[in-house]
Parts: sequence; C-alpha cells; structure tokens
Amino acid sequence: MFELLGTALVHLMQVKYMVPLALGTLAGIVGGALPGVTITMTIIVVLPFTFGMDPLQGLAAMTGVYVGGSAGGLVTAVLLGLPGTPSAIATTFDGHPMAQRGEPGRAVWTGVWASVFGGLIGGVFLIGATGPLASIALQFGPWEFFSLFILALSMVAGLVEASLLKGLIAGALGCVVTVLGTDPVMGQERLTLGVPFVRGGIDFLPVLIGVFAFAQIMTEVERVGGVERAAHAAQRKLSLAVSHAKVLWDIVSRPFLLLWTSFIGVLIGVLPAIGGSAASMMAYDQAKKFSRHPEKFGSGVPEGIIASESSNNANVGGSLVTIMAFGIPGDAVTAVMLGALTIHGIQSGPLFISQNAQLAYGIFAAYLVAHLLMVLILALGARWMLRVVTVPKAALFPVVLVLCTVGAYALNNTMSNVYVLLVFGVLGYAMVKFGFPLAPFILGVILGDQIEINLVRSIMTDSDLWLFLTRPISGTLLAMSVGSLLLSLWQHRRQQRKLAASGEDADF
Amino acid sequence: MLSRDGWAGLAVLAASLVLFWLTLGLKGNPMVPIGPGFYPRIVLGITAALALLLVGADWAAARKRAAPPEARAQRNYRLVAVMFLVFGVYCGALPYLGFRVATLAYIAASNALLDAPRGARGARGWGRVGLVALIATVVIYYVFEHYLLVLLPRGRWTGF
Repeated sequence: MFELLGTALVHLMQVKYMVPLALGTLAGIVGGALPGVTITMTIIVVLPFTFGMDPLQGLAAMTGVYVGGSAGGLVTAVLLGLPGTPSAIATTFDGHPMAQRGEPGRAVWTGVWASVFGGLIGGVFLIGATGPLASIALQFGPWEFFSLFILALSMVAGLVEASLLKGLIAGALGCVVTVLGTDPVMGQERLTLGVPFVRGGIDFLPVLIGVFAFAQIMTEVERVGGVERAAHAAQRKLSLAVSHAKVLWDIVSRPFLLLWTSFIGVLIGVLPAIGGSAASMMAYDQAKKFSRHPEKFGSGVPEGIIASESSNNANVGGSLVTIMAFGIPGDAVTAVMLGALTIHGIQSGPLFISQNAQLAYGIFAAYLVAHLLMVLILALGARWMLRVVTVPKAALFPVVLVLCTVGAYALNNTMSNVYVLLVFGVLGYAMVKFGFPLAPFILGVILGDQIEINLVRSIMTDSDLWLFLTRPISGTLLAMSVGSLLLSLWQHRRQQRKLAASGEDADF
Repeated sequence: MLSRDGWAGLAVLAASLVLFWLTLGLKGNPMVPIGPGFYPRIVLGITAALALLLVGADWAAARKRAAPPEARAQRNYRLVAVMFLVFGVYCGALPYLGFRVATLAYIAASNALLDAPRGARGARGWGRVGLVALIATVVIYYVFEHYLLVLLPRGRWTGF
C-alpha cells in the first residue's frame, strides 16, 4: 500500500499533474471564498475543463477543488463574518469574533492548519479504509448491492433537514428520472414521452449540473444586491501576520479535540450526501460539550475554529472513501467526480481500486498534496481573497451558467444535454422553492439505474424475493434502512412536538 | 385549503399516475422474465403513494392551521423568471447563432438584467457590460476550442 502511495506521489510530481492540481486547489479556494458560490458549483464549473485531460489530471484538479473549497470558505467566514461555503458556518462562530478582537491572522491560520490536520487524518482513513471496504463490497451479490443502494437512499432521505416525506419523495423522483428513456437491462425504449432527446435515457451529469447550479444561482438572483456588505468590508486593510509555531501549538496541544472532531468529519463524510456543513456543526457542538469552558464558545476561542475546520476537511476524506469503495457518492461534489470517472470510461465501485490502482493511489496522492498546496496558496494570497468577494455577481452568474452549458454540451457534443440542463434547472429551482431537498433527488438519479439492474439481476438469478431478507448482509442492510427511516421519523416527530410546544408550525 | 406542500404533492401524484398509466402499454421481452415496466411501476407506485401521503398530511395540517402565514422576505421572482427565459432563449439560439454570437449576447443581456447600468455613468456601465461579455466569450471559446479540443456549437444562420 505504502509502496503504491510512494510511487503515486512521485508520479504526481510531474508538471502535467501538478498544474491541474494547483489550479484546481486555487479554484476551490476562490470558489469557497465567494459567498453564495459553493464547492459543488465550483466543481461543476471546473468539470468541463477536465474533459480534455487524462483521468488522473482531471481527478487531481477536482480533488484540488474539493480540498481547496473546504478551506477557502474559512477566509471570508473569519475576516468578514460571511461563510464562503455552508461548511464554514461554524467557523464564523469563533473565527469572526477572534478576528474582530484584533487577531485576524491567528483566526485564519488556526483554521488553515486545523484544515490541514483534519484533512490528513481524513487522508489516513481514506488510504487505509478504501481497500478493505472495497474487498468487503466485492463479496456482494445483486441482492446486497440493491439493499446497499436502498440504505443509501433511505439514509439521505431521512437525514435531510426538510421533512422526511419530502426527502423520500425527492429520492423517488430521482429514481423516476432513470426510468425515462431506455430499460438499462435490455435497452428497450420506454416512457420517452415523445421527446427525442429522452430516447437514449437521461445522463445524470446535466441533471446534476442543472439542478444544483440553477437552484443556487436563481436563489441568489432573488435577492441580488445582498452582498454589498462584503464589498465594503473588503476595503479594510488587515494584517494576517502570525507566529505559525504558536498557532500550531494551539492545535496540537488539543489532540483529543483534533482527533474527535476529525473522526466526526470522516464519519459524516462516509454517510452519503450529508455534507461538510453538518459535519462542522456537529463537531462544533461536540467540542463545546466536551470543553471545560463551554460558555466561552462564540467569543473567539481556537477550539471552535479547530473543531469546525478539522471536521470539515476530514469530511472530504470520508466522502472519497464511499465513492471509491462502493461507487456511492458521499455528496454532490463526489457525484460530479463520479460523472468525471464515467466520462473517462472508468467504472467506480468495489473493483475500482483493484482495476485502477494507479489512478486510485494517484487520487490519494493528489488529496495529500492538495493540502500542502492549499497552505501555500493561502500563505501567498489570503489577503487577496478579500478582493475576490467583490466580484459583481451580475457578471459572475451568467459566466457560470455559460460554463455549465458548455459542460453539459461537451459530454457528447449534442444540444440534448443542454435542453436537459434547462429542464432540470427549472425543476431544481422549483424543488427548492417547494422545500424539497436536492440531495436525495440527485442520489436517486445516480443510483436509480443500479437499483433496477441489481433488482432484475437478482430476480433473474433466483425468483425467490425472500432472499433479499434472508441473505445476511442484504437482510441487515434492509433492516438498517427501515431502522434509519424509523429513527428519522422519531426525530422529526420529536422536533415537531418541540416546535408545537413553542407555538410554531412544524413540517412533517 | 391546501398549502404549497399539498399542491406540490398533487402535482407529483398526477405526474406519477400519468407515467404509471403509460407503463401499462409497455410490452414485455421474452428474453427477460420481468418486462421493462416492472421497475418503473414499483418506483412510480411508491412515488404516487408518498405524494398522496404528503397531500393527506397537508390536508390534515390545514385543519389545525389557524394563523395566516408569516410575511416572507421580499424576493424578486420576476427577475428569476426573466433570467430563466433569457437562458431558454440562449439554449434555443445556440444551434442557430452559434456559440460565439449567442454567448456574447447572453452574457451581456443577463449582466444588464442583473445590474442595469443607470444614471450619469450609464454609458460607461454599458461599456463594462459589453467588455465583460466579450472577454468571457473569447476566453471560454479559446480555452475550450483550442486547448481542450471541445467543438462548440456552430450557427446554422451565422455559419460560425
């Protein structure tokens, strides 16, 4: 394993890989720093640029975006009190008060170094766990895969913040998208609705790009003019000079906090589609509970920044494990990476690491090196990040949508995917406005075909449907799906009772 | 009276029932014991049942709802609708005008819609809008066509 990693690190040091990795990390940091532009949108914008590259170049660039984006949000969160990404929200709680207290350098660099440590802990898990988990997944038959995908969908639907019912409907709608076009088993045409571009089925990447890009941009368009505060604040002159030894001591002198919050980040990352924001909020909450002085949280204590940023970057490692071992995207960013793999003709899943060892270890190496590049880029340009947030959104949004269009078009050089992008852009925005979560929908679109293929394969192998329950792993996974739904139902009901007690309206 | 959840549930219910009805016309394949309509029927049946539950839950909640909904923050939905329309026109125009012309016009139009140049500096503002559109179009075109070898759409009317 270490020999392969060493070889991959040496291989990655070539200019042709380092340039996309560095540019991806830079793009991630900039995208992360821009309030209203998430890592998902940044990776969607970067995606078409990777089409002409070899798989490792493209995936290195995307890994760079993922790592850079997870840390980029902290700069604006700390200095302006505006989280660049949702995953940096918890960083604002203590980072911004610390900066306001006259220690902006300490606040930024505590976040940066905590991100590095968290990311590296996530990296250790990524490198150590992917192979063994993939080996377990290799024992799976179609029954187990079917049940695993059902578990992933039920967990995502249940863990979203909106109502459980809407989460389940969103997941089911995602699966409905996959039944339009062609039957994946025999390639027979079905439910094309007379629309020519549906005949070949609907590619999930334009759906993903359309749903996420439009939902986000149009939600921002509704309140155009709301980011002026950032522009004014950015004019302030700030010094980020700091003693790095002191900052590093701040972090390593709290090993339990660092390890526990990174572990939370990894764990949340492994669970599909929950994302870095939940990881950092949960880690912040845990850090506060375990602290000897919880009352100081929110006033600018380093523990708050360490908890949020270490979990946030460790989350990236966890998300990459899920996609590399099981072929299930951990979040929207890894869903785009899954699309990139497909474009390059590589099948993700349990066989990925054994069939593409060089590429898999290349991704591990890119993940590790991206953290060092992130420190370097932030050391050179943290102050310039503040100027980035002054980019007028009126100019930025149309360019982002054009890049989304190019990304959809370039998938197979036809306009069909552009029309799919538009249709699902409208649907994504409507879903957001009606309170339907997007994560289960996207997971449904990605897994729908696989659920069908494995269901049909299992029935073709043996028509006994009880096998889904009587095969130990499959039965356990299905029981976990039911358990996960019951748990979410109980949590939603409890929340509903709390809200009812406080006189507010609740959402089932 | 149904809220937005109830109406959304009804829309999903209607769509899934229509699609379910369409699956009844799918012919089976002698090679496969399960026809192409087997899985879609399961998925659409579940979707319809969930949508029905949402409508029911909303209807039940409506009886308890006494207070009128809170006033929401002011949102510019008209601008959103216009932005979608402009993007729709852009998608429609791409095969006819080609990437370069359509993109230049789209970026300029969207930029102007989102931040219309007004007042004494209007002319300068329009210049900035045009310049941003031109630079973005040229850079995207150059990078994708020449560096990444992606052949962008050519216009049937413009010839390039």
